[in-house]
Amino acid sequence: MSEQGIGAALTRVEARDKVTGAARYTADVVLPGMAYAALVSSQVSAGRLRSLDVSAAKAAPGVLGVFSHLDRPTWHRVPAIPYFGETRMPFSDDRIHHAGQHIAIVVASTRQQAAHAAALVKAEYEAGKPVPTLEKALPSAYVAAQGNYVNFPQETVRGTPEEALAGSPVRVKAEYRTALISHAPIEPSVTTATWEGDELTLYDTSQAVVVHRGLVATAFGLPEDKVRLVCPLIGGAFGAKTHVWGHTLLVALAARRLGRPVQVVITRKQMFTTTGHQPPTVQRIEIGAERDGRLRVITHDSTNSTSFVAERPENTVLSSVATYAVPNLRTRVRLARMNFGTPTAMRTPGDGPGSFALECALDELAHELGADPVELRRRNHADVHPQSGKPWSGKNLLECYRIGAERFGWHRRDRRPGTRREGNDLIGYGMATARRVEHHRAAESTVDIRTDGGVVVRTATQDIGGGTLTTMIQVAADALGVAPDKVTITVGDTDLPPGAPTFGSITSGSNGSAVRLAAQDARGAAIRLAVGDKGSPLHGLAEDAVDVRDGRLFAKADPRRGETYAVLLTRNRVNPLRGNGKYSPAESQYETSTFGAHFTEVRIDRDLPRVRVVRHLAVIDCGIVLNTKTARNQAQGGIIGSIGVALMEELRQDPVSGRALAPALTDYHVPVNADIGQIDVHFVNKPDHNSNPLGAKGLGEICSIGVSAAVANAVFNATGRRIRDLPITPRRLL
Amino acid sequence: MRPFHYSRPGSVGEAVRALGADPGAEVIAGGTDLVTLLRDGVRAPSQLVDVNRLGLDRLSWQPNGSVHIGAMCRNAVDDSRLRRAYPGLVQALRSGASPQIRNRASFGGNLLQRTRCAYFRLPEFDCNKRNPGSGCAALNGDGAQTALFGASPSCVAVHPSDCAVALVALNAVVHVEGPAGARRIPIEEFHVLPGETPQRETALRRDELVVAIELPPAPPSHYLKFRDRTSFAFALVSAAVAVEVSGGTVRSARIALGGVAAKPWRCLAAERELVGKPFTAPSIAKAGDAATEGAKPRPGNEYKVELVRRVVRRALTELGNA
Ligand SMILES: Cc1cc2nc3c(=O)[nH]c(=O)nc-3n(C[C@H](O)[C@H](O)[C@H](O)COP(=O)(O)OP(=O)(O)OC[C@H]3O[C@@H](n4cnc5c(N)ncnc54)[C@H](O)[C@@H]3O)c2cc1C
Repeated sequence: MSEQGIGAALTRVEARDKVTGAARYTADVVLPGMAYAALVSSQVSAGRLRSLDVSAAKAAPGVLGVFSHLDRPTWHRVPAIPYFGETRMPFSDDRIHHAGQHIAIVVASTRQQAAHAAALVKAEYEAGKPVPTLEKALPSAYVAAQGNYVNFPQETVRGTPEEALAGSPVRVKAEYRTALISHAPIEPSVTTATWEGDELTLYDTSQAVVVHRGLVATAFGLPEDKVRLVCPLIGGAFGAKTHVWGHTLLVALAARRLGRPVQVVITRKQMFTTTGHQPPTVQRIEIGAERDGRLRVITHDSTNSTSFVAERPENTVLSSVATYAVPNLRTRVRLARMNFGTPTAMRTPGDGPGSFALECALDELAHELGADPVELRRRNHADVHPQSGKPWSGKNLLECYRIGAERFGWHRRDRRPGTRREGNDLIGYGMATARRVEHHRAAESTVDIRTDGGVVVRTATQDIGGGTLTTMIQVAADALGVAPDKVTITVGDTDLPPGAPTFGSITSGSNGSAVRLAAQDARGAAIRLAVGDKGSPLHGLAEDAVDVRDGRLFAKADPRRGETYAVLLTRNRVNPLRGNGKYSPAESQYETSTFGAHFTEVRIDRDLPRVRVVRHLAVIDCGIVLNTKTARNQAQGGIIGSIGVALMEELRQDPVSGRALAPALTDYHVPVNADIGQIDVHFVNKPDHNSNPLGAKGLGEICSIGVSAAVANAVFNATGRRIRDLPITPRRLL
Repeated sequence: MRPFHYSRPGSVGEAVRALGADPGAEVIAGGTDLVTLLRDGVRAPSQLVDVNRLGLDRLSWQPNGSVHIGAMCRNAVDDSRLRRAYPGLVQALRSGASPQIRNRASFGGNLLQRTRCAYFRLPEFDCNKRNPGSGCAALNGDGAQTALFGASPSCVAVHPSDCAVALVALNAVVHVEGPAGARRIPIEEFHVLPGETPQRETALRRDELVVAIELPPAPPSHYLKFRDRTSFAFALVSAAVAVEVSGGTVRSARIALGGVAAKPWRCLAAERELVGKPFTAPSIAKAGDAATEGAKPRPGNEYKVELVRRVVRRALTELGNA
């Protein structure tokens, strides 16, 4: 831990505002003359609109305008996917592709008037026959051609998988299913749009203001610099705000037509139906191994649902491609279209469901072999990337296993399932590996040192609740040699230097590197200013003979000789002194990933079988940890989210219409406090400088990956029952 | 949501008159259920009659040891005598919803809350309860939550209340008042099975008000609720049991189930297995088996049959151990 900030367990800088209600979220934005919108949703899952009668809505009190496909909005172009989720622009035509699809937008003077008028819009449908579920869509599953979202190999072959399987002394084969699940952030998606002439400002719940600006500009045919995106704090996103969804464009459109600012807060139900979800998957895995547990071959065949207006494969198979040293491999991903909204990134896209299948299959293999699950994984450790053969930039997975097994007390596990009991409870232990590719993105930042000694970081990233504001301050403080409480940060505005998106676990590494470079630039400039300034006690020293601590520059050889940034800049009338940082990830000779190991203990009442995770331990290798407090918080949150995925999360669909049956937080179960036992998180905390200048890697997703498999493996250990379908509800255990 | 009138009468008589004068009027108590139904377009009353100012929020103990719980007493009610006399009721209340909701939710509203059947709560589905004659989309739909007992071809929904289940085991009486005066409805007759009129859920008339719930002195009671998560979830199956044992023999038993029918489901067969027997594991096991008598599982809810057996056994066992 550096005394200047990195690693320190600082409380989030916005914490007080959040708990006192002073924090401003996007729905708190109020502009003069602002009107409010409500979106009208399709009631049917497929077909077309035969008619849309908006007369009653238009006549309702306070209504300023009602727009629909009848107004033929002229979109300039369909923005490139990603990060617009769909190939069809909203209101393009009368076609219905899923229930909940926006079919009209009503704008009124108050939110209530808009909601009331929206209920008066009368739609007549020519209902089509929907493909309601993944199950019904499976017969027409297909392998998608590359393009758009389809940006990873849909099929991979390594070695000679069929021969290897035929020659394997031990084989396991199973089919796993994960459920349709939803992000369910507390804050719904919100957009406020205002035009000044040809310039559009959007206050939007966006996980990527910079990327989304370009997209919005494309849709409206504007140069990028005519669009400004502002995103204050986000009240949870989990992927639901990685893409621009229809409502954002529709609100901008309505604001333009009406010539006044318009805001929409989409409803909870619309959160479930129009801002993406993680699609259900069906995954078949077959493993061939030697008797000593060495893997010979893995085949992994995965199908996920997608909508009729987007092809989005879930990259589940990467788990099999990139986790273990296996000489032979075959993977394939297929899509099956159903009449439901478009899926999107959620929590841990790909690796979440993928690791569930792979890590359960490994547990099945361990059982078959009579081997210890940790030992089996050690034996198949990938010393280099198993597909590319490149070295890892940094990898401490073996240490994760060692620390985890020791701290958890793994040796107490009885490998005979169903043998440990206490009263009515069956007790089981399970574990799994976590692995996530580390992505890099270009990012820029400035760091200003002011004459009062204060520091301002400016970068267009955003804080979605993970603690980014705080960690970026710590990075700047560390590189500048000032106390973190001297640093403030401004984010979430495209007027700032372009920062990184806050998804895909790229913020810490990429944006953190940009901030660090900017701070180093400012620090270097200050030192140069001092050593060249006759008025400075440091005059004449070599630059590298000067160090900075607590905002004071001093001679390394004689720490009494020095002065503060404030004094230096005031005397020189430089205000502010600006450092610029531009991080551009280069082609690397390395493969970069984050790693971890999860260990979990479940207890299950044998008569009334609800799985309780009483104890969970995660050991995580994500490079250097920027803030142990926010990191632990993120990891615990990620683990809890995944316990939910393992045990209860499922957006059930009506088998006839495909419509969501419980698009509400009452019935869409996520864990409550009483569901959660003790959660311990341990960080390996070794910097990975081969990955980026900061040595920090993303934590957002790695903490969640493998948790659902660890739980399922523990359930097997407790009961002898292998549940291959998520979630593991009481119903499945009875 | 449709605009509506709002009135706040100061007496029961005034409230009854307000209901009588406007056929579209509905009572609002804590609003925890009704407001969501208004929001989702499931209900569209012309008027809301607020019953929060009628003085119905008192708990009064009677000389004979029974208690009258005012209809506006909150589900968060915390009364030590109530806890001692009717532990099953207090456990049922505590197992419901969340502390915030229990602080608002009233006894009257709890009895009259509507089913959680998704097909009822989402207006895009056909539902005979919401829209008589439109059909029941749940029949061919997701059956996981549907009824084991007493369902009909027009409705397979279950009643969601925990409190009402305990009230059946405790032999409660519902006091109501209407234009023709007051009447008392035994709790078992309060909720009705769907038959061909699932829109009719209770014996309460449209212009009547629940004013109180009367509990006679009761034997030891217990409530057990089994659900998908530890708290803040409706029951998959629950059981309320009230058993009087003397001299090692069961003198009386009342057993009611939640989550399995359009009303709290009284298990007479299970009660018969207990009465006159020792209150021990073998008779408890038989009672559990008997509780499933007459169950008609439907696709998707078969798991509830085994659950009924186990929940009843566990509830009785825990009562016996208490
Ligand atoms: C998220 C959530 C979770 C919940 N979980 C549970 C649970 O686990 N278990 C459980 O049992 N319940 C649960 N509930 C339901 C809750 O108990 C009910 O919403 C509550 O009891 C209703 O009481 P209220 O006073 O708010 O009624 P309101 O919502 O005001 O009214 C409900 C109905 O009762 C009628 N009504 C109310 N009072 C009277 C009266 N005195 N006379 C005549 N009619 C009247 C109203 O007209 C309306 O039709 C949950 C509710 C929510 C929102």
